[in-house]
Amino acid sequence: MKRIKILLAKTSLDGHDRGIKVLSLAFRDAGFEVIYLGKMLKPEEVVQAAIDEDVDVISLSFLSGEHIEHTRKVARLIKKKIQKDVLFLVGGVIPPQDIKKLKKMGVHEVFPAGSLIEDIIKFIRENVKG
Amino acid sequence: MKEIKHGYFSKIEDERTWSGYPVKIFYTEEDLKTKDKSLPGEFPYTRGIYRDMYRGRLWTMRAVCGFGTPKETNERFRFLFKEGETGLDVIFDIPTMTGIDADHPDVRDEVGVQGTSLCSLPDMEEMMDGIPLDKVSSSLVITSYASPVILAFYIALAQKMGIDIKNLRGTIQNDPLHHRFCGYPEEFTPTELCLKTATDIIEFCTKNMPLFYPQNINAYDLRENGLNAAQEIAFSFGMAMAYIDACLKRGLKIDEFGPRIAFYCSAHIDIFEEVAKFRAMRRMWAKLMKEKYGAKDERTLKFKFGVHTAGCSLVPQEPLNNIIRVAYEALAAVLGGVQSLHCCAYDEPLALPTEESARIALRTQQILAYETGVGRCADPLGGSYYVEYLTDKLEEEANKILEEIMRQGGMVNAIKSGWVQKEIDNFAYQYQREVMERKRLIVGMNIFRSEAQGKPIPVHRISKKKRMEQIRKIKNLRKTRSKRDVLDALSALKSAAKDEKNLIPYIVDCAKVYCTMGEIMGVIREAYGMRYDPLGKLQSPLK
Repeated sequence: MKRIKILLAKTSLDGHDRGIKVLSLAFRDAGFEVIYLGKMLKPEEVVQAAIDEDVDVISLSFLSGEHIEHTRKVARLIKKKIQKDVLFLVGGVIPPQDIKKLKKMGVHEVFPAGSLIEDIIKFIRENVKG
Repeated sequence: MKEIKHGYFSKIEDERTWSGYPVKIFYTEEDLKTKDKSLPGEFPYTRGIYRDMYRGRLWTMRAVCGFGTPKETNERFRFLFKEGETGLDVIFDIPTMTGIDADHPDVRDEVGVQGTSLCSLPDMEEMMDGIPLDKVSSSLVITSYASPVILAFYIALAQKMGIDIKNLRGTIQNDPLHHRFCGYPEEFTPTELCLKTATDIIEFCTKNMPLFYPQNINAYDLRENGLNAAQEIAFSFGMAMAYIDACLKRGLKIDEFGPRIAFYCSAHIDIFEEVAKFRAMRRMWAKLMKEKYGAKDERTLKFKFGVHTAGCSLVPQEPLNNIIRVAYEALAAVLGGVQSLHCCAYDEPLALPTEESARIALRTQQILAYETGVGRCADPLGGSYYVEYLTDKLEEEANKILEEIMRQGGMVNAIKSGWVQKEIDNFAYQYQREVMERKRLIVGMNIFRSEAQGKPIPVHRISKKKRMEQIRKIKNLRKTRSKRDVLDALSALKSAAKDEKNLIPYIVDCAKVYCTMGEIMGVIREAYGMRYDPLGKLQSPLK
C-alpha cells in the first residue's frame, strides 16, 4: 500500500505552533509521509504546495479565532484547483458550534484541541481514498 | 461491567512529578540538602520577598483582557473593575503584536480576534477611557517588537491627561528573545533591533518612570510551548541575563535597573512542584544578582513575579472542569508567594472568555484571598520536607541547564544554534506521547472520557461589524491628522534610529501627532535596512 502523504500548515499571522508540530511528529511516527510547510502562509501557497507534492491530506491548525475566514479561503481553492480527492482536516481552538459550518465549507473532519492523536490517525487511515 | 477496571483498588501509578522527577513515598529531614534557614523577607528570599507578605498587601488581581476594538476592551475593563479586579492586564491582537496596522490589506481577518487592535493614540484613549492612569497598575502584554510604540501611546496619553509619568505603575512585557520561541519569525521581529529597543525602554523608564517595570520576562510562554518546571526557570533566567548584560554594556548600573526586573511565570497543575519552583526561583535569583552581578540593593535581589495559570493544562472536554484546574493552579501561585495573578477562564480552550467566564476566573482568586485563608501566613509550606526537597531539586536541575546555556555562550547563542527550540519541541512531543500512552492522565480527556459531551457552552463571538469599524477608524485618522506633522515626526525618528539614539522620546513625539503603529515601526525598520512593511505591500510615507 502506498504511504499516505500529509501536508500540515498554518495560514494567518498566528504563531501558536506547538500543536501542529507535535502532530507532524506523531504522524511521522505513525508511518505517514509528512510535510510541515510552516506558518504565516497564504492560502494560495498551501494549496499550491498540496498540488506540487500530490498530497492525500491537507491539515490546517488555528488557535486564534481566525478559523472561519481562513478555512473558507483554503476550501475554495481546494475545490477550484485540486482534481483528486484530498482529505481536508482542521484542528485547534475551535468552538463546537463552528464544526458544522466548517464541514459545510468542505472540511471532512474537525479535531479541536483535546482530541486524541490516535483518533486522528485512525480517521486518516480510514478515509484516505486510493 | 467492563467500565470498572480497578474500582476500589485504584491507586496512584505515576511516581514522578509533572516535570518527571521521581518522588519517594515520604520525605524526612535527611532528604534536605540545603540548610536554608532564612525567614520570609530575608536573603535569599526563598520564603517570600516580604516579611508580612499578603498581610501587607494582597497580590494584584488581574484578568488578561483584550478583544475586538479598544472600545469593547474598555467596556470589559470597566466590568472587571466593578467586579473587584485590582490591576489591568491588556493583550493585543496579532497584527498589533507584529507592528502592523488594522487597515493593512493582508490582516483584515485577524483584527481584534486574539486581542484588542491598537494602532494609534486615539485607540489608547478609547481603551483607557475613564480609567485614572495614576491610580491603576497596567500590565501591557505586548511583543518586544511593538513594546516601544505601545509604551509611547501610554506615555502620550498620560501626558495628555496631565499625569506626571513618574507616577505611572505597571509592566510592559518587552521581552525580545521571547519572539524566537513564540511564533514570530525573525524577519517580522528582528532580534538585534528588539534587543536595542528593549534596552531603550529599560533606560528610559529607569530615568523617567521609576515605578514602572520596563520588562517582564516571559517564562510563561516558554513553558506553554513545552517545557518542564526546571527548564522554565533556566531558560527565563538565561534570557534575563542576556538583557542585564545589554543594560550593563550601555553603562547602566545593576542596582539602577535591577529592582524593576520582573518575571511572568506559569503555574501548572502539580501544586507542590510549582510552589517549589517559585521558591527555587527566588533563591536562585537572589544568589545570581548578588554573586554574579554584585547587586547590593535588596530590591534587586528580590525575585518578583506574576503568574498566568497554565492555559495548556485546560481541555475543551467538559469545560467546567477547567474551573477546578485553574483553582488548583492559582492556589499553587499563592502558596508560592506570587505578586500578581491572572486566572485563565474555563472556556479558553474554545474561544476568548465571555463576561461570565472572566468573572468566574476573577472569583477564583477572590475566594482564595478572602475565604480560604491561605494568604494569612507567609510561605505556609516552608518546612515541609517534601516541598523543601523539591525546592532543592528544582534549583539543582535548573542550575544544570543554566550551566549548559552558559557553556554555549549564553542564551542568544543557544537560541541561534537551534538548541533551545529543539529542547522545547522534544519536551512538547514527549509530553504528548505520554498523554497518548496514558502515562499522563487528564480527566475527561484520556481517562474518564465521556462520549456524550452535552450541549456546547455559549462562547464569546468577536463582532465582525465592530472589527470593520476599527479598520474604518484608522483609515479616517489618516485623512484627518496633519500630514506635515506626521512626516516631520517620522523623519526625526528615522534619523534618531540611524544615529543609534534612545528612540522612546522620538516615538512619543510621533504618537502625539497621531502616527500609527505600522508607520512608526516601519520607519525604524527602514533605518535598520529592512523593508518598511514586513508583509511587503505598503510603501513608506517618507519616500
